[in-house]
This record gives sequence, structure tokens and C-alpha cells, in this order.
Amino acid sequence: MSENIIELIKENVIQGRITRDDEGIEEDMAGQPGVTELVEEALASGIDVSEIINKGLTASMQAVGQKFETGEYFIPDMLASAEAVGTAMEILKPHLEKSGVKPKGKILMATVKGDLHDIGKNIVSILLRGAGYMVKDIGNNLDTKDIVKAVREEKPDYLGLSALLTSTMVSMEDIIKALEESGLRDKVKIIIGGAPVSEEYAREIGADGYGADGFHGVSVIETMNGHN
Amino acid sequence: MIRKGIEGGSYKPLTPEDISRINDTVLSTIEEIGCQVNSDTALDAFKRVGASIDSKKRRVRLPREKVLELISKAPSEVTLCGRDEKYDIHLGGARVYTGTGGTALYIYEPTTGERRQATLTDLKDISRLVDKLDNIHLLLLPTYPNELPVEQVDVNRFFAGLDNTSKHIMGGVYTIDGMCEVMRMAEMVAGSPEALRQRPIISIITCVISPFIIDEKYGDMIVAAAESGLPVVCPSEPLCGATSPVTLAGNLVVQTVDSLMGVILAQAVNPGTPAIFGSVATSTDLRDYKYIAGSVEMGLLNAAGAQMAQFYKLPYYATGGMTDSKTLDAQSGYESAITNLLCALSGSNFIHDSAGLMEFAMTVCYEKYVIDNEILGMVMRAVEGIKVNDETIAYDLMKEIGPGGNFVTAKHTRRFMRKEHYQPGLSDRNSREKWDEKGSHATWEVAAKKVKSILESPASSLPDEIRKRVLSEIKSIVK
Repeated sequence: MSENIIELIKENVIQGRITRDDEGIEEDMAGQPGVTELVEEALASGIDVSEIINKGLTASMQAVGQKFETGEYFIPDMLASAEAVGTAMEILKPHLEKSGVKPKGKILMATVKGDLHDIGKNIVSILLRGAGYMVKDIGNNLDTKDIVKAVREEKPDYLGLSALLTSTMVSMEDIIKALEESGLRDKVKIIIGGAPVSEEYAREIGADGYGADGFHGVSVIETMNGHN
Repeated sequence: MIRKGIEGGSYKPLTPEDISRINDTVLSTIEEIGCQVNSDTALDAFKRVGASIDSKKRRVRLPREKVLELISKAPSEVTLCGRDEKYDIHLGGARVYTGTGGTALYIYEPTTGERRQATLTDLKDISRLVDKLDNIHLLLLPTYPNELPVEQVDVNRFFAGLDNTSKHIMGGVYTIDGMCEVMRMAEMVAGSPEALRQRPIISIITCVISPFIIDEKYGDMIVAAAESGLPVVCPSEPLCGATSPVTLAGNLVVQTVDSLMGVILAQAVNPGTPAIFGSVATSTDLRDYKYIAGSVEMGLLNAAGAQMAQFYKLPYYATGGMTDSKTLDAQSGYESAITNLLCALSGSNFIHDSAGLMEFAMTVCYEKYVIDNEILGMVMRAVEGIKVNDETIAYDLMKEIGPGGNFVTAKHTRRFMRKEHYQPGLSDRNSREKWDEKGSHATWEVAAKKVKSILESPASSLPDEIRKRVLSEIKSIVK
């Protein structure tokens, strides 16, 4: 029974079906339970949370990653699967401590002042949730002081900063300085991303890491987190 | 997702007035100029349906009503069956399918840049390749096995096809005896003579010689093919300025007359014969009168042929997709793409020669089959056009997403992305860095890898028992 539900969770993550109403890639899947319903069912039937995470969610994201690598899956497929895992993690959140599962970490995501572009940041957020992180997206066009305030209040392990414009990326440097002045810089690792940003720029302004794209961003954080 | 049999016809080089004028001239030509018939069996068949015959000149003329009456006996829909039912194709209307073509004598090898003679092994390997290329819907036997004596060519060619792909096999024949042997073999493969008529897994290509000649041998073949009840293609190949007027309209008249004479002859022999109206019309190189296979005029002529076929309600065999290039260069790509696209958009039922051929149709190239398969995938997507309905216009979705939002994670995106967007199987869309990392390969090099992997995979051979029976009963098949 438990193996059966885990298998179904896995299959539905691969199909990117969050709820019963979602279509999958295969035909005629709408109407059958999705990841939300299946995870709830798994919890109700007393299946261990770590088993749900390891065998149901993590394993299926690996399969999705492979399908993406071979070209069978597109970005929207990958995101649908990651969203399904993110939703599952939300449901499992209250049960983590009780089951002795250590959360992977909390990440704050923001697009800097003057920049309204948020597709990139949203994609990275979804992928990070799919990798099992708790992600808080605080929005776009944010003042430096608001980002500092959020870091103080939320106490994230990582801060992800995004910018699409060369004219706005300069405020990344201001944010890092402001965090230093507030005594928060050593409490959070800062990863930056966006089209104009580079590895070199990250080093220059004193960020901890740089993600060339969503997948790279996730792997940078995974490495910092000691998961790779 | 494989696109085949999609309704084309959005491209119409001829106006309804043009079609009516061409038809009128075609009927006058058959009524007044007539056609020279060098085959006795064909001449007899025309006599039986009341044609006026000038015996001395062997000239056959038919009144226009008679012509239209005989055309109306030909089925407007013809199904060409695959050995595997999933490959059945239903010619008629403006539905579009594609296939290979022939008959080439040489193989071009891009790795060495050399051209060599085609052998029976090549024919088998190309059949295996075509079996796995999804955008090529039937196999028209593409090469001539140079090492065989002519009496053995027909049966060996069809066996090479039948034993290496479960798609439909169409092919030209070189001798009447050979054709009969091919039919006997196909009956064994189908299970019985009746089974073959019910599900014709092979079809025969004949020809009418432009302008206005039914040849002795090919006339006999049209008669024999019609008697067999198998689908028969009656194409004609007028060349602008050589065997037809240099003008495209004049060429269209000659092509229509000649192909219709074949269709009519088949109906005269055996009313109801599945006869396919066919065009191989093209232009010539006016500097030396060479046959040309990649001209834009060829695309126009064969697209217009589709309109004429639709006018007569006959299934249509068009010619497109070739190139005159000697190598896999830009010319090879654009000539193949443009002629295929024009034929397909006009609703040509079956585009023959649509893959693999180059150098005035004398040469085929393994890698080019893979490249043309990609062209055809794009062409078929173009035929499909743009669907406009509540779901595709997506107003509700736009309302939900609003200004500045994005459609990356919308369910609508996943629901339609695969259906609406052709996904290349060959074209490179990597960034320069990624492309460099993968070896900076040109298209043909990637195609060569695909050829290799397909030829290393299992073939769609004939079932063992049938294969044994065919080989034991037909001795002329080279094992």
C-alpha cells in the first residue's frame, strides 16, 4: 500500500500534476488524484515523512531532470514538476520536525529596485522549492532598506537577488553594503542572477555565488548547502 | 507528434478562371490533337470505349464528354496500405502525405565528398532508414541496383523495400515479367491475392511520355497494372521549353493531358482502377537543356497540379523536395524546402521525391534523408496552419495573467506547447557555447550520427515464415 502511494506520488510529480484537476503530459489523467491529494493520503495512512520526501519527491525530480536533459521535457514541464514538489513540501512542513527531517534551508528571493522583471526570479523560486527548500519570494522593484528589513525578520539562510537590467544590477552592491552595515552580512549567503550579471561581477561586489540560469542557481545553492 | 494527412490547399497559384481555362484546353487537346498510342493492348482498350482511332498514325482522340465520363470512373480516394496498418495513407481531397522518390543511380557520401554507384544493399539500408523517419510517410523505391541484370531488378527492389520497412512501398517497374513477379510476391506477403487487393501494400508507377505519347512498354504496363486492380500512378514529366511549351501554363496543359490519358486508359481497361493523377513537371536548364529538379517553377507547376487534381477529384502524386546541388550545402536545403513547401501548402496528396534526392534526381544521400525529414516536419506544421478558437486565442488566460505577467507556468502553456510548436529533431538551437561543447557540428554531421544509430537499430523485417516462403518460391531474389 505505502509503496503504491509513493509510486503514484512519483508518477504525478513527473507528470507535473499538483491537484486532481490538473492535466498531465499523458492523456486522460485529469480527475485522478494529484500530488496534493496523494501526499495528504500518504500522511493520513501514516507513511514516514522522510520516505515521502526521499522516495516520492527527490527521486522523481531526478527523473524529471533526466527527461529535461534528453530534451523530452521543456522548462514549463520542469516547473510544473517543481511546483508539485513545492506544494508537497508545504503540506509536509508542519510534520518535518516531528519526523526528525532537517529542513534544507530557507531562501529569500527578491528583484532589486527599479527592476520589474520577475520571470527569472519566479522560475528560480519554483525550482528551489522543487529541490526542497523553503522559499519566500518578497517581490520585485524592492528598496534596499526593505530587503535588509526582510533579511532581519525572516532570518533566511540564503538571499537570492535578481536583476535583468545593467542599470538596476548596481543596487546589488548597495544591498550587500547595507547588510554589512546592519551586521547581517555574515548571517546570510547571497547569490545573484540575471542576464547582465556574471561570476566576475559577483566576486567584485562580494556576493557568495552566481547562478547562470535557474538550474545552475539551484546547483550552486545545493553545493553551498553540502547536498552535492 | 507526427503530422500526416493534414488538409492543405491554402496556397492556390491558379484562380478558378485559370483552372477552367486549362481544363478547356486540356479537353480540346484530347479531342482535337489526340495522343499517339504505341502499345497494342492500350490501343485496343481505347477502341473498346469508343475512341476515334487513326490507325496509320496510331492517334487516339476522345470527345470531351467521354473523357470526363472515364475520369469519373476513377475513385477520388485511394488508400495506400502499410504492412503495418498505422502507416496507411488515405490519398484524396487536399490531404498531404510525403514519401521518397527515385530512381537514383548513385549515392553521395558527404564524409568523403565522393559519389559512388548504388547497390541493392543501399536500397535495403535506405528502406530501413525511411522506416524510422517519421515525416516520410511511404517508401518509394529510391535507387537502382546497378549490379543486377534488368530481369532481376523489379522483384529484388520490391523485396528490399518490403523486408526493411512496414510503410507502404511504391515503385516503378522495368519489365512486365518483373511486375508480375512483384505482384506474386506481394500476394504472399499480404496473405492472398484477395488480401492484397483489399490492403494494397504496394503500388506501381508507370508513365506517359510528354508530349502526348503512350509508349509501347509503358502502355502495356498501365494495362497490366489496371488489370491487376492494384493502385497505379500515371505521372507525366513535361519539361518547359523541351517537351512542353516553355510557359508554365502550357506545361500544365501537357502534364494534365498526359497524366489524364494514363488515368483514362486504366479506366478503359478496368473501370474503378485506383489510378493516381501524377505530375513530375519541371523546367530545364536553358543553357544545355538538362532536366532541373530544384527550380521554383517546379514548385509552382506541381502546386498547380494539385489544384487540377482537386478539380478532377482525382488523388494526386506531386513531385517536390529535390535539389540540383551536388553536395549538402545551402542550395540543397533551400531548393528542397521551397519545392516541398509549395507542393504541401497546395494540398498535394502525396509529394514524391520529397526526401533524399539531389543532383537532378540522379543521386541520393543517406544524410539528406534525415535533413529532409526535418524540412518535412516543418512543412507539415506549416500545412497545419493556425487554429483560432476560444482555447487557442486564450482571452480568459490573458485576463487572469494581466499586464506584466508571464505565461511560463500557466497550465495552458503545457497543454498547447507540444501541439502548437514543431520540435526539431535535427536543427541546432543550442547557444554557441553549448554548440561548441558538443563539437561544433554542421547539420549533415549530426544527420550522419542519426543515420548510424538508425542503421544499428533493429529493422522492420518481414515475419520469418513469410520471408522464408518468399525466398523459397521466388528464386531470383538475391539473399
